[in-house]
Parts: sequence; C-alpha cells; structure tokens
Amino acid sequence: MLRYTLKRILTGILALFVLACVTFFLVRLMPGSPFQTGSVSEQVVEAVEREYGLDRPLPEQFMTYMGNLLRGDLGVSYEDPGVKVTDIIGRTWRITASLGVPALILAILAGTFFGILRAVSRRRIVRETISAVGMILAGIPGFAVAILLLLLFSVQLRLLPASGLLTPAHYILPVTSLAVYPAAVITRLTGNALEAEMEKDYVLFARAKGLGRKRIIFTHALKNAWRPVLNYIGPASAFLLTGSFVVESIFTIPGIGREFVNSITNRDYTLIMGLTVFMGAVVIGVNLVTDLLGAWLDPAVRRAYQEEAG
Amino acid sequence: MRALDIKKLSVQYHTERGVHRALRDMDLYVEEGEITGIVGESGSGKTTAMLAVMGLLDKNSTVRSEKVTVCGEPPVPGVNIAMVFQDPQSCLNPTVKIGRQITETIRARRHCGRREARDRAVELLDMVGIGDGKKRMRQYPFELSGGMRQRVVIAIALACEPKLIIADEPTTALDAAVQAQILRLLKKIVEETGTALLLVSHDLGVTASLCQRVYVMHEGKIVESGTVEDVFYDPQDGYTRQLLSSAKQKRKNCGSPENQVLFRMEHVTKEYNTRDGIRDISLDFCRGEVFALAGESGSGKTTLARVLTGILKEDKGVLYYKGQPLDQKQRDRSRNKVQMVFQDPYASLNPCLTAGQVLEEALRAADIRDGSQRRRMGTVPARDNAAEKQSRSARRRDRKAEREARRKTICDMLKRVGLTEEYMEKYPSELSGGQRQRIGIARALIVRPELLICDEALSSLDAVTQEQILDLLLDIQREQGIACLFISHDMHVIRRISSRMGVMYGGRLVESGRTKEICSDPWHPYTKQLLEAVPEADPLRARRIRSLPLRKRTADKEQTGKGCPFAGECGYAMSCCTEQEPETYTFGERAVSCFLYAEKYSGRRDRDYIMTSQI
Repeated sequence: MLRYTLKRILTGILALFVLACVTFFLVRLMPGSPFQTGSVSEQVVEAVEREYGLDRPLPEQFMTYMGNLLRGDLGVSYEDPGVKVTDIIGRTWRITASLGVPALILAILAGTFFGILRAVSRRRIVRETISAVGMILAGIPGFAVAILLLLLFSVQLRLLPASGLLTPAHYILPVTSLAVYPAAVITRLTGNALEAEMEKDYVLFARAKGLGRKRIIFTHALKNAWRPVLNYIGPASAFLLTGSFVVESIFTIPGIGREFVNSITNRDYTLIMGLTVFMGAVVIGVNLVTDLLGAWLDPAVRRAYQEEAG
Repeated sequence: MRALDIKKLSVQYHTERGVHRALRDMDLYVEEGEITGIVGESGSGKTTAMLAVMGLLDKNSTVRSEKVTVCGEPPVPGVNIAMVFQDPQSCLNPTVKIGRQITETIRARRHCGRREARDRAVELLDMVGIGDGKKRMRQYPFELSGGMRQRVVIAIALACEPKLIIADEPTTALDAAVQAQILRLLKKIVEETGTALLLVSHDLGVTASLCQRVYVMHEGKIVESGTVEDVFYDPQDGYTRQLLSSAKQKRKNCGSPENQVLFRMEHVTKEYNTRDGIRDISLDFCRGEVFALAGESGSGKTTLARVLTGILKEDKGVLYYKGQPLDQKQRDRSRNKVQMVFQDPYASLNPCLTAGQVLEEALRAADIRDGSQRRRMGTVPARDNAAEKQSRSARRRDRKAEREARRKTICDMLKRVGLTEEYMEKYPSELSGGQRQRIGIARALIVRPELLICDEALSSLDAVTQEQILDLLLDIQREQGIACLFISHDMHVIRRISSRMGVMYGGRLVESGRTKEICSDPWHPYTKQLLEAVPEADPLRARRIRSLPLRKRTADKEQTGKGCPFAGECGYAMSCCTEQEPETYTFGERAVSCFLYAEKYSGRRDRDYIMTSQI
C-alpha cells in the first residue's frame, strides 16, 4: 500500500509534467501573438514580445518557464500585466469551488438516496419512476438543464435570481444544474450495485439471522456497494472542481472555467499554462485521493497496509 | 412438542417458462433435541423446502401448507429457527468484522447492550471451538480459514437461540479433515444445548454419521423416511437404493496401466510467498492409468496440476515427457497433450459462449498450435505465386470443408460425453451443473490429450451426477488409453477409481503408492488421519467419526518453516521432525516421507525385512 501510494504520487507528478510540456508547445503552435490586435503596429508588438522574452528560441523559453514552475511561479497575465496568474487562479477558483463542492455533496446525497430507493423500494412505481427520471436527466446536456432551470425559476416564476453570486439564493440554480448529471449517474450506479448486493448470499443469511430490512441495507449491502460509486466520484469531482464553462457563462459567474476560455481567446500564454497546470493538478489529485480511499475502504488492502506499517 | 412440524408443504416457482412445482406435499417433523437428515441430489427441492420454512423464498414463488410450526409456533427466522448455509465464504459479509456480524444477531435477538452482546459473542465463539474469541472478533472473514468461517456461521446461528437449526450442506465446501471437525461440533452443540438440528446434505456419509432419522427426497417429494438404520440398511424405495448403491459402490474397473511412463516430474518445486506451493515432488504418470492425488485444500494439489499443464513454470526440477526433458519450446508444443477439467463448472465456462463455440475455440487453438509447429518444421511449403494465383474459391472451399470437419468433430465429442447435437447452441446458463461439467470434459478431450487432469472435477456435483460423470470419465479414459491425474479430497472416489495415488500435505508428497495398499494400510500419519476423517454411508461405522484434534498448527507452521510440515499436528512427532525435513523413503512401489521409516531414526532393519506400517 505504501509503495502503491508512492508510485501513484510519482506517476501523478510525471503526468503533470507531460501535461505542462504538451500545453506549452500547443499554446505556441496557435496562430497569432498575444499582443497582436488590429490597431497595434508591428514594431510595438515586437517590442512587447521582446520585453516578455517571446523572441527567444522556444527551448530557452521552455526552460525558463519550467524553472519558474518548479518554484511555484506561474508568471503574470499578458492581458493584464499587473496581476499574477496565481492570484487569478486563487480568485476564480474560490468561486468555482464554492459552486462545485456543494454541487458534489448534493449529487452524492441525492444520488445515494434515490439509488437506495430505486434498489429496495417495495413499490414498483417508485422504482420505475426513479429509473426513468434518472435516465432522462442523465441524457440532457448540462447547458440545457441550466437554461431550463433559468427559464422556469427566474424568468417564469421569478423565484430565484438569474445571475451573479450575491446571496445564498444565487447559488441554488447553478449548483442544481451542476449537480443534476452526476446525481443521475450516481443514482444509477448505487441502484445497480445495491440491487446486485441484495441478491448475494450474505443478505439471505442476514435475513435468516433475523435482522431487519433497514439493518441489512445500511450495515451490510451498502458497505459493499460503494465501489462503482467511488470510481465515478473521482472523475465527477474533478469535473465539478475545475469549473463548467457552460454553467458559469449562463449564470454569468466569474469562475475558473470562464477564465480559461477567455484566456484562450486572448492568447494569454501564461494564464493558459497556469490554468492548465492547475486544473491538471486538481484532476490528478482528486483521482489519487479517490483511488487511495477505495483501496483503504477494502478491508483486505487495509489489513495489508497495517501489517506493512507494523 | 415437535421442534419442527410440517404438513403438506408445497412450493411453486413462477418462471417465464411457466409454473414449476419445486415441492409437492412435503410432510416432515423433527423432535426436540433430535438430529434429522434430508438427503437427495441437487435440484430435488431440499434447499427450496428449507427456505420456504424460513420464509426466505423470492417473490416469484408461492408457498402453501397446512401447517408449519416450530415448537407449536409459526417459524420466525432469527428467533426460533436459524440456518447454516453451505458456503461460509459467501454468507459472511466480507466487509464487516466477525464480531459485528455476531453481536448484531445477539442484539437483534435479545435487545441488549453492546457490552453484553460482546461477552455473549466471545462465549459463543468459545462454544464453537474458537478459543481466542476477542481477537477473532476484530478480524474480517477473509482472515479466517474455511473451517473457521463455518464455525463463525454456526456461532451466529446459535446467537439466535433457536429451537431448531437448519444446516444446509454445512460441510460440502470443506475438506475431509475440517468436515469431521464441523460434524463433531454440530453433534456436540445438539447434545449440549438441546437444539434440534435438521441436516440437509447430499453426502450420505455425513447424514449417516450424525442423524437419527432421515428423509430421502427426489424431485420435490419425500420418497422414503425412517430411522437411519432402516433406510440405510433396508431401503424400500428404488431411488434410495440407487443413491446408496452409488455411494457404496465397490471399485470401478479402471484401465490397467501400461508401463510406458508418459510424464515424469523430478524434484519439482514451485514456491509462493504465502502458501499453496509445492516442494521437491517426484512423480510418474503412466499411459492408461488413473493416478489420484489427495490432500486438504491449500496443500498444493492444484499448483502441481498447473505446473504439469505448463500454466505455471516450475522454479526447480525437471519435467520429462516420454523420457525427454521438457524445455520451454517443447512445452508449448506439448501443451495439447495435457488438458484440464476444472472444479467449478459454473466459473470455468465463459457465459457468453455457447457450448459449440467453447469446443470450437479449443479445437482452433490446438490447430493453430499445430499449424505454427508445422510451418516451423518446414513441412508447409512457402507460398509461391502459383499458389497465390490458385483461385480464391478453392481456398474458400477448403475453409468450408475445414469448418464442416470441425463441426463434425464437435458433434461427435458432444455425443461422446452424453449430450446431443442440440447442446451446441446452448449457453452455460441454460445447462445444469452436470451438463456443464460434461462440456468441460468435452473441451479437454477434444484436442486428444495424453494426460487428462481432473482438478476436483466432481466435488461441486451431487452424488448421482458425480456417479454419472465418473462413469463417463472412466469410460473415455479406458477407451482412449490416456493417463488421468485425478485430484480430489474425496477419499471414497479415490479409493474406487485409481490404481495409484499420492497424498499431499503442506506442498509435499507425503506418501504415494498403490491405492489399494495405501487405503487399507496407511503408512504416513497424515494419510491415516485423512482416511479416518471420511464418514462412510454406513450408520454404524460412520457414527465413529474420528478426527485428530487440531493442534495450534498455524503458529507452528509459521514459526519453524523447516521440518516436516505435518509435525505440528502429528501424534507421532519426534524431536527430529520439527528440526529437519524428512526425505522420501522408497520401499518398492510405496514411497513415504516420514522419519518413522528412516533407518537413522527408527533403527536399522534386516536386509529381507519387509516394511510395514509403523503406526
């Protein structure tokens, strides 16, 4: 387990490095220069490029960037030279995370709840409704959900605000539209896994020893049904924490997703690089955590780890 | 008051194919403090009846009965009735600690606090023979051995404080030595607590060893009942007679071994970090003989089989095929010559392939191997242009003919194993256990092997099916004159079919020789224990199940690592046994690995002294 953890961390770092290299060169392959806008003369562009070191040969630029990256310095934004990239990330990510974390929690809670209900409800209508609705929700794209919610609750009913993040009420629509898809998927995963577990012999044995239904579901079946759900939660939380450009645009939220798309249109090299590396780190980190958590939740692996540790 | 009284219990399953009457008008009773048995082949409705009594059947079934009472009250699982299932591996929750699984039962039954439940759990574990209960309660099921797990399951059943325990094939998943311990435990529990026990089993020996009265079930009906002695010694019903005769049947006629040694293993070793390895094994397999390998689970039988097939590569030692040492290259070539029939006919067939496809795949794999071999040897001429120009249709015709030939081979093979052509299109899920095992045998035989390895190929089947499959195997074996390595923990079967046998313990071959001699006069202490642990389908003899008490073996085994692997449990162990490993001492055809037979430790013998059993 210890070795496995170390190995995973090392491969994570390697992946991050490869990601940084690839983006670095891809960004520079994009046609145009960050400073080329219609009204600026050639000389000015060249002067500015020289100032930022963009006239140097590519390998040299690369070495400088990587060196800075190791020190945690992501440079300044080309678009807005007064602002450091790290500051931009700090500002926008806080906003994105304030949407993503509640959305994740909502998705897990709702998904698990409906999943359990779908698997064990005695009423057929409940089971079928949840399956059907879940299927539909998983099939609708995120922007459609967002727009539908927006139309219904803020345009038609005028119950909730449509844009910005001023009050807690502002959070309801974007968080919901972010959470719908993962919740639907988690419902299906939990439902299927739980259904399969309920067929197993140990559930029959638990019934034979006189345990109640709730007992069996919560202390026995659910304990074995988490694995597919956890495997999905990794990528899902990575998605939620790196921000959804679509949802952020629809609700005009200054989050990291929107910043990312803007930086590309602006050819803001350092900002693109900084955001990519950061998001990469988040994705890799979250997946590492869920993988380790999954291993840890397996008693056989945990025992091996404890023995290893002494 | 009867512990269990059933009058006219019927169960119907509603399936897509219509109504299936699984159980018809069953009458059954169990007196208080009595052990009653139900025997019958799988699919005869034993388990259905038990689940119906427990009220645990699925929704697609209807249960009708005039009366089902436990001590005059309706049965309530976990209160007045408890059940022990066949496979302790699957009926304990793998992610919940043993302690919790016991205490939750106690708390559900007694509505008491955690502490009281914990104390009671330790008591129960002690009762089922698990001494260090406090430590065990913190462990997960995977940390216990199969026998331990079944003890835990029994402890859970006892935690319900029931009037009646239903044990559904409680020892089928265990090997002989552990089976004997569990049977003794069940008997002890009935004697001490006065709980009635209903023992469901397909093993007549197990039934004979424990029960006072017995019911024989066949196709959902009880065909005969009475005291064990009456039923076993004087069966009235034809089906009972058939069951008994298949269990008691005398030696089968197996092909006489020719003296041509087909495969030979010399000092073969394959080590694992944990267990299941084999150490320093030398064996011969002759053409036309059935060689049986006995031993408990984890003793390395399967590892040996895998080394023989070439699935595993031996660490040390040499394998010979017809006198030639096998290196890697030849091994690939000779792989067709060794084929295996696996234990679990459910897990060893791909559920997505029809029987025909399974066989065709095996055939094609063998052909490809032959083909590549031929090409390498240069007998297939390189394609030149002329051949290339040869019309495509000719090649297509060839291929078609080949397909036809293959199809014919498959049909013949299916008929050979007692199935019809229609089975080609069937998926494993549509077949019964016995039919699947037939497919497994067909798959192994279709490539015409010279050595057939049957790794516990019968142990997941019930008595009657076992008998049929055994007949089939021996017929084919005799007919084709192939060698057969028969791995089993069932000494009955081994005794009946094999001409020579070996006994494995802890990765070593502790004894080998002629089956008849070993079974009538075991030399190695472990062989003796193994033979004594098996109950026979004869009530008077089976009552005396003996099993040597377990000596804290795990501790011993781990500590020393050297010495005889059996020393920790052996009643004859000398000081040398724990210090050094015995060599293999050969006396004619008999080879035994025990210091009792070493000159150094048991005294020098005369030149013309004929070695006999020392125990």
